[in-house]
Amino acid sequence: MNHQPTHRSGITRRTVLRGMGAALAIPWLEAMQTQTLHADLAKDVDAPVRMAVLFAPNGTRADLWTPQGEGTEFKLSPTLQPLEDFKQQLLIPTNLWNQASRSGDGHYVKTSGFLTCTTINKTLGIDLNANGTSMDQVAAQSVGRQTPLPSLELGIDPVSVGVDRNVGYTRVYGAHIAWNSPTSPLAREVNPRLVYERLYRAGQPQSKTADQDKLLLDRVLDDARQLDRQLGAEDRHRLKEYLQSVRSIEQRVQRATDDTATRWTARSSFDSVPKPPAKLPDDHQEHVRLMLDMIALAFQTDTTRVSTFMFGNAVSGKNFSFLDGVTSGHHDVSHHENKEEKLKQYAIISRWHVEQYAYLLTRLASMPEGDSTVLANSMILFGSGLRDGNGHDPHNLPLVLAGQAGGRLETGKHLTFSQDTPLANLYAAMLTAFGCSVDRFADSTGPLPGTLA
Amino acid sequence: MQPCFRRLLAILCSLGFATTARPALADPDRQATFDPAAFVSDYCMDCHSGKDAEAHLDLAPFQIDKKGADARMADKAFQWITISQRVMDGSMPPEDSEAPSIADRERFTDWVQTTLQRTACEQGVSPGRAPMRRLTRSEYSATLRDLLSIHINAGQDLPVEGAGGEGFDNAAETLFLSPLHAEKFFDAARVGLNYALASPRSRRQVLGAEPDANLSPHDAAKKQLQSFLPRAFRRPVTDTEQQAYQQLFADLFDVTKAYEVAMQRTLEAVLMSPNFLFRLEPTHESPDPKPLDDHALAVRLSYFLWGTMPDQQLMQLANQGKLSDPEVLRQQTLRLLQHQERVRLFAKSFTEQWLGTRTLGREFKPDARVIKQFDAELLGGMKYEPIFFFQELLTQNHSILTLIDSDFTYANRRLAQHYKIPGNFREQPRRVELPEDSPRGGLLGMASVLAVSSHPYRTSPVLRGKWVLETMLGTPPPPAPPDVPALDEVETSASAETLRQRLERHRRDPVCASCHDRIDPLGFGLENFDVLGRWRTSDQGQAIDSRGTLPDGTHFEGPQELKHLLLERKSQFARNLTAKLLGYALGRGLTFKDYCTVSEIVEKLEADEFRSHTLILEIVQSVPFRYHAGTDPARTVTTVE
Repeated sequence: MNHQPTHRSGITRRTVLRGMGAALAIPWLEAMQTQTLHADLAKDVDAPVRMAVLFAPNGTRADLWTPQGEGTEFKLSPTLQPLEDFKQQLLIPTNLWNQASRSGDGHYVKTSGFLTCTTINKTLGIDLNANGTSMDQVAAQSVGRQTPLPSLELGIDPVSVGVDRNVGYTRVYGAHIAWNSPTSPLAREVNPRLVYERLYRAGQPQSKTADQDKLLLDRVLDDARQLDRQLGAEDRHRLKEYLQSVRSIEQRVQRATDDTATRWTARSSFDSVPKPPAKLPDDHQEHVRLMLDMIALAFQTDTTRVSTFMFGNAVSGKNFSFLDGVTSGHHDVSHHENKEEKLKQYAIISRWHVEQYAYLLTRLASMPEGDSTVLANSMILFGSGLRDGNGHDPHNLPLVLAGQAGGRLETGKHLTFSQDTPLANLYAAMLTAFGCSVDRFADSTGPLPGTLA
Repeated sequence: MQPCFRRLLAILCSLGFATTARPALADPDRQATFDPAAFVSDYCMDCHSGKDAEAHLDLAPFQIDKKGADARMADKAFQWITISQRVMDGSMPPEDSEAPSIADRERFTDWVQTTLQRTACEQGVSPGRAPMRRLTRSEYSATLRDLLSIHINAGQDLPVEGAGGEGFDNAAETLFLSPLHAEKFFDAARVGLNYALASPRSRRQVLGAEPDANLSPHDAAKKQLQSFLPRAFRRPVTDTEQQAYQQLFADLFDVTKAYEVAMQRTLEAVLMSPNFLFRLEPTHESPDPKPLDDHALAVRLSYFLWGTMPDQQLMQLANQGKLSDPEVLRQQTLRLLQHQERVRLFAKSFTEQWLGTRTLGREFKPDARVIKQFDAELLGGMKYEPIFFFQELLTQNHSILTLIDSDFTYANRRLAQHYKIPGNFREQPRRVELPEDSPRGGLLGMASVLAVSSHPYRTSPVLRGKWVLETMLGTPPPPAPPDVPALDEVETSASAETLRQRLERHRRDPVCASCHDRIDPLGFGLENFDVLGRWRTSDQGQAIDSRGTLPDGTHFEGPQELKHLLLERKSQFARNLTAKLLGYALGRGLTFKDYCTVSEIVEKLEADEFRSHTLILEIVQSVPFRYHAGTDPARTVTTVE
């Protein structure tokens, strides 16, 4: 590969796309990282739309969530107060519910079903099935091939140990909101350093060893095909998961060698976010913020356009005594029994989650993109699968969306819908804004009115 | 709370209802007077019989009072399990029809479960399917370690697995694959091979005899692949497979012109192959179960007891077709149990997941504001106590009842201080004999167990009681109802009530009492242990009261008497541990039929002083371990509509 730069300046993404035949000769990443290039990108109006979902376990302080007032005239509630700076970028829907997650148990169905809007199978493992693909994955599957990673799944706690015989669900359900298919929950990365390295590597052209990589991946895929003939139907399904998994590497290798395909280029350098420390932080807030930085980095560079993040697994007993006024674990105080002592703590924890969400919004808002920002080109949903932790109730879910998805969403509004409007209607609106042509999603009856621009 | 829900809850609690098809411990006296035919005819048949049966459930053909009814029921086992669950959870008979008493509901459920189990066992024990499963994170690391002779944990960056079945991460049903996995396997293979190439000893494992004047690169590669591939795939390889990898080497050699690079990259492909990453057992389509071939058996045995690939001896015996010989299998099992280091890995994997102690220092961190003097060495001592203990239990053929009570344990320097045990200790745990009056010994004296069954900031008799019921006896209590929180255990400054008083007040509600009468006393027996398992006689100025009364009126006080009570339930304990180990060995959730095997093993254990070797040998020699059912070519992936 020729490493002599052929252009010193003036490369826009569109020139790149037009000159695709010659593109291979240019060391893209280096070129894209120059200041000149940033200036040119600034004129780019074709910024992609990104979507992230931040999931909080254990519900929220129900009486301190809903804003006062309606439409554009509204006042943020105490829990949402940390979002004051972003008021014009918010869309807060009230009265949405996830009907499919009503029965089952208090937490697992409300976690795995949060983005699928389906009822998951009750099982300790056999026939594990969410009975639907999650909303984020529907989005990822529509644009995933345009970026090095189709989507990015992040969390803080590894999957909880064991099965919950108490209620009859495997804890796998409590640790996944992203479902690639009804039977394939997506593994999450919990170590920010590893995420950083993954993003960074995914963004590199693998020109040096691509030929070798291709040869050996072909061998692996061939082994899988040989095997496929000897397997029963159920095993074949598992093998298919593996094939897909290997193919995603293959596609990346191909992207680096194939000069006819649409080549991906990083939209910004990877310098905007420092490399996280090798050691996993002990401090919960620091850990969360490092993970949110990774979403910001992934979106800014366009390494992926879809991401989900879990603050904790279902029934998380995370000890929040690092916050002033809190002495207990999250799940414990969410069962507040309307006792003042617990309600106070619950409110502090709920608000802390919103503060972290605000942190991500601040990061994204500080990343310019043309005349706009990455935040303005994104939609970032924060929510929980139940409203009040004391009641495990999937009615009137606590949800807030930020960002205009590149002008496709009308924000700065608090919208109260009729009681028990399907949560899937919000997802239908988000998918529409994302550019997916979906008529329906799960039990949706149509995109939420008043949300799409 | 709604009345019907309260009733349902009371039923669930009194049964100690496990949510899987787990046969209840039938009480013969209770069964003696129960007439199942009358029960079904009184409460079910009005709606569920004939052509127009509700929900197409026609119970008439079962002819419960006739001979042969059992076999018919066994054929429809899952239907009957559902029926018994509906009756037990109060959803059947429906609200407006005549309802059986709670006692009769229990009897009916017992009857269904004992009938199904008895019949299933009479029909002969059958093995389950042998689903293909990928190596777990820890299996992957151990396998790479042995395959490449390296000493790093190459799989440490792989995603952590969830668990299924009996609660272990090796359950085939929950070993998913995400796009992230292939990336991570790719990285791990590279890291492992790079590491191996850097050390002379392991370098040879990877490169074989390197080419020289007398050996062409292609011949060297051929030779190396002939030895490496069967080890990596844990079975003999076909000529086609051998040639395919030789071809890959040749292609890579063309590109790189370097033997080392081409070989390394060829082996990367081997390590990415599903033949390496998955445990595959040759399938068959016969309706009758077939014995596993010797290689598959070697793999099962090795991953069960060592968590890694079979060693040379096992492979040799498998190559010679000798491993399936029962006496050889027995000797090999005992040999594997003598390998201290590897048995420790097994003990670690099994006990951490069984006891829930893997969460220590991870999800479970004691609250630093309340719990002082917690440090890394103490954490290490706590984490490793049950592991070393279980390792000795297995290698020394102790009775599994030592898990309930023992005259020894393992401690390092910090843990010994913590336990106030005098003597010379270092950072590495060592065995220590316990004095007669020590509250330690057995799982319930272990700091790790006492910690993970506490809140981070204080002890909880409810959590500890639940831990004993679920982890030791295998009878988890049902969940608290969704609209009523778990018992109020939080201190309110206004009230001078002790925790015990608050719990006792709560238990005056009969609905709460139906479960908490079983749960709380067990936990109170352990109140002398603080969050980290330190012995205490008072808490915040109040003397500790460790008395408890079980629902049957038995009084006891303190951990020693609690252990005696558990020893009286040794068969139940043995049954639970057997089920856990069998599920771990098979890497899947147990089905109804597997409980025949569990019962048989428990009988053998009882006849042999509950020796651990008997338990392991019986599992290895059991039908589900040595055989596999055929796959039905017509069967598709089951989904629930």
